[in-house]
Amino acid sequence: MTNAVPFATLALAAALLLRMVHPQRPGLAGVAATAFSWLALTPLALLVALPGATTPQRAAVGAALAIALLARDREDLAQGECALKLTWVLAAAFALSWAGESLLALAAGTVPSLEQWPALALQLDPYGLWSAALALTLLAGVVLVGGAPFHFWLADVFHGARAWLAPLVVASLQVAGAALLAHRLEGIGAFPAGAALVRGLITIAAAAALVGGAATLASQRRPERRVGTLASLQGALVLAALASDPGREPFAALAPGSLTAWGAHLALALTGAGTLARFLPVGAPAADAPAVLFRRHPWSGAVAAYSLLSLAGAPGTPGMLLWLSVARRLALTRHSGLLLALALAWIVAFAVTAEETRRAFGSPSPRPAPEADVPWPARAAMWTAAAGLVLLGWQWWVV
Amino acid sequence: MTEPGRTRPRRLLVAALPGLVAAVAGLALLATPRLPLAALGVELLALAFWLWARLGDDRREQLARWGWLRRPALALWLAAALAISLPPPRALAPPSAPGLAAALETPDLTAAPTAGGRDALAPLRVLEALAVLWAGLELLGALPLSRPFPDVTGPLANAGPWLPAILPAMGFLVLWRQSAVWTPAPLVREIAALALLLAAGLAVLRAYTRRSWTASLRWLVVFDSSLAAMLIALDVVPGRIAFLLWCASAGGRLMALAAELRGATTRRGRGLTRWWRLASWTGAASLSWPLLVGVAFAAGRFRPAEYFALAAPVFLATRLTLQRVIEAPERRAIARPDAARVVSLFGAFATLVLGPLALLFAWWSGFEGSFPGVLLALLPAALGGWLRPRRRAGAAMPPVLRVSVAAGATARDFALAVFRTVTSFERRLAATFGAVLRGLGAPARDLHTGDAQEYLLFLVGVGVLALLLPLLR
Repeated sequence: MTNAVPFATLALAAALLLRMVHPQRPGLAGVAATAFSWLALTPLALLVALPGATTPQRAAVGAALAIALLARDREDLAQGECALKLTWVLAAAFALSWAGESLLALAAGTVPSLEQWPALALQLDPYGLWSAALALTLLAGVVLVGGAPFHFWLADVFHGARAWLAPLVVASLQVAGAALLAHRLEGIGAFPAGAALVRGLITIAAAAALVGGAATLASQRRPERRVGTLASLQGALVLAALASDPGREPFAALAPGSLTAWGAHLALALTGAGTLARFLPVGAPAADAPAVLFRRHPWSGAVAAYSLLSLAGAPGTPGMLLWLSVARRLALTRHSGLLLALALAWIVAFAVTAEETRRAFGSPSPRPAPEADVPWPARAAMWTAAAGLVLLGWQWWVV
Repeated sequence: MTEPGRTRPRRLLVAALPGLVAAVAGLALLATPRLPLAALGVELLALAFWLWARLGDDRREQLARWGWLRRPALALWLAAALAISLPPPRALAPPSAPGLAAALETPDLTAAPTAGGRDALAPLRVLEALAVLWAGLELLGALPLSRPFPDVTGPLANAGPWLPAILPAMGFLVLWRQSAVWTPAPLVREIAALALLLAAGLAVLRAYTRRSWTASLRWLVVFDSSLAAMLIALDVVPGRIAFLLWCASAGGRLMALAAELRGATTRRGRGLTRWWRLASWTGAASLSWPLLVGVAFAAGRFRPAEYFALAAPVFLATRLTLQRVIEAPERRAIARPDAARVVSLFGAFATLVLGPLALLFAWWSGFEGSFPGVLLALLPAALGGWLRPRRRAGAAMPPVLRVSVAAGATARDFALAVFRTVTSFERRLAATFGAVLRGLGAPARDLHTGDAQEYLLFLVGVGVLALLLPLLR
């Protein structure tokens, strides 16, 4: 079983390094403020490391903490806008899901989900009641994993939030969403009509997330937003895995306890790719001189590109194993339509990230590199994320 | 002190070295039958072209010109991923190995499908075959998007005119080594044969219209590779025989092209020129003969449509080969001894021997033809060799090159018009398809305006849908 704690710790360490790039104030007070804001990320890292312990309440607290962290700096308008958008969307999503949970408890006569399925299987309640309730209970999870058409918040957070904050906020909320869905559907095999309904709903959601994500990725220009959309495709992977067998844990073919493995990969890949995105040019032609990072520190750039490619599931990266694991699961359960959508999304993701990497390396320029240096903590964060990914891949390979 | 003029080429050579290593590794990987390695091979080739394209002063143009090379690589990666993901058609049982090994378990693609019941994954198996075919055809220049590449020069200053000619070679390698993946799929062979026939016809027409012999040679490599790939698509001869025949024809052209760039060493002296003329004719005839026998005279029946569709380009290619290989004028009073001439002679001899030798192997492995099919199959190449127009003594340029394209309704003019009509139609078709795709993708771009209130409204809408959707069972 993959232990995500070391990998979440690495992501947290990378966040600290990135936090050091933007010190708040000089002196001891500044150090304390930096440390405090970084320590506030620890509960989010815990959500990534321990998805098994996620409950709707903990997910809601995690979402509230993420919004609070985004809203804390009143001078930062972009982060404030992200916080506002997240508040609107997540509050409504949790409210609708909470309504669904209540309705389902009413129909089944019990609150724990594992006890609800046998009770609902007796078919004592009207179809309209339990089916609508069941669909609503999934809404918060689907919004949190960020599959299209709910992929807007991921791109917004990567675009608007600071580099040290965005990866862990996104990864923790996505992992919380996946865990909510997995826990909600645990044991649903005892209620075949419910399993059939959920399979249909999640298949539609997964197909929309994969195709919509691929279409969005192909039309985006800003590297930060592309990283956000790649994260949304990771959420689509969870939906696709659940659609093939709603009662089984996603990525079960990869390793037992595989949601933790997915979360660990997500946190590290988003850290590396999110940091790299800050140094990439927007819509520059491939014949232009390389970005500053790639001119002054090409190896750091290459290492960060590895995280970006892993997020897209490029061959030779741990991300590829996640995509292959879901593809194989869909093939074994004969979900040919969803597998086709997965293939399309993967090809688009791989093509776009490879093109992005090429553009970043640009063409050799005879002119001297610009004076502005890339801060060492940022480079160290990229190396940390890539090292974590290599370790993760090695661990999966050995397993 | 080093001269500046000498340091620049040396510096360029050092800069080109990573690309050279990638290209050689790519070629080596393409020779293996494993699909993921072939995908890596094409990816390395695309990387090599990208690395080289960045070096020159015309990098903006070169980078845009060779960016398409990632498409065949992506197609092969897709095929490789599907090969790993799809279970064997016979048994759709859970994987035998636990954990990660299950995710990477390669299914047996040669297993027969189940007798009863429909294979739900059949469309994906066809997609896998089509992806491999796409990669091979695109590298061959047999698809509309990559069709014009033999017309342009490659990225490196010295080897630039030669580099595009290795792409059809790689396309042929993909189609040959991965034939077990793409040939069993339904209708894929027929699609391949049609695309290759069109590619061969267009390539020979374009070779005919080009004034530069180096450009014509690039198009003739496309022509030869298309014919050799057709041998595989139609299962006329075993793959290794098709490879030998390809080596005899396209291999000879690749050598001739390299020699052209090194002072036209295949055409220095009357004897050497004659040797090369004979070798090129033998290679082309050896390649076309089994194809015509296998296609136009299969099962003892004559198929005139297939015969003429293949015979016409073969005739034109053979005629072109003999017409254009003319002795290069020697500008020196006394020719210097040159090692390249010896190498060129050896190349001519190898090309001359390889074709008949491959045919001998084909006969040995069971290839047979009916009479008079075997003679009629040789006719286009024989006519192309025999009906050579006589040149005036001392005329260095063949008559066909002296006629201006714009002068009127010449044969070259007609060939150029046909080529341009077909390619412009293809381009328009591809552009229409791209526009439709962009139109379909536009809603995804406009889905979110960035307004937080609209996010909320959207979510509430989806919530209402979640309430209503289950009721519509």
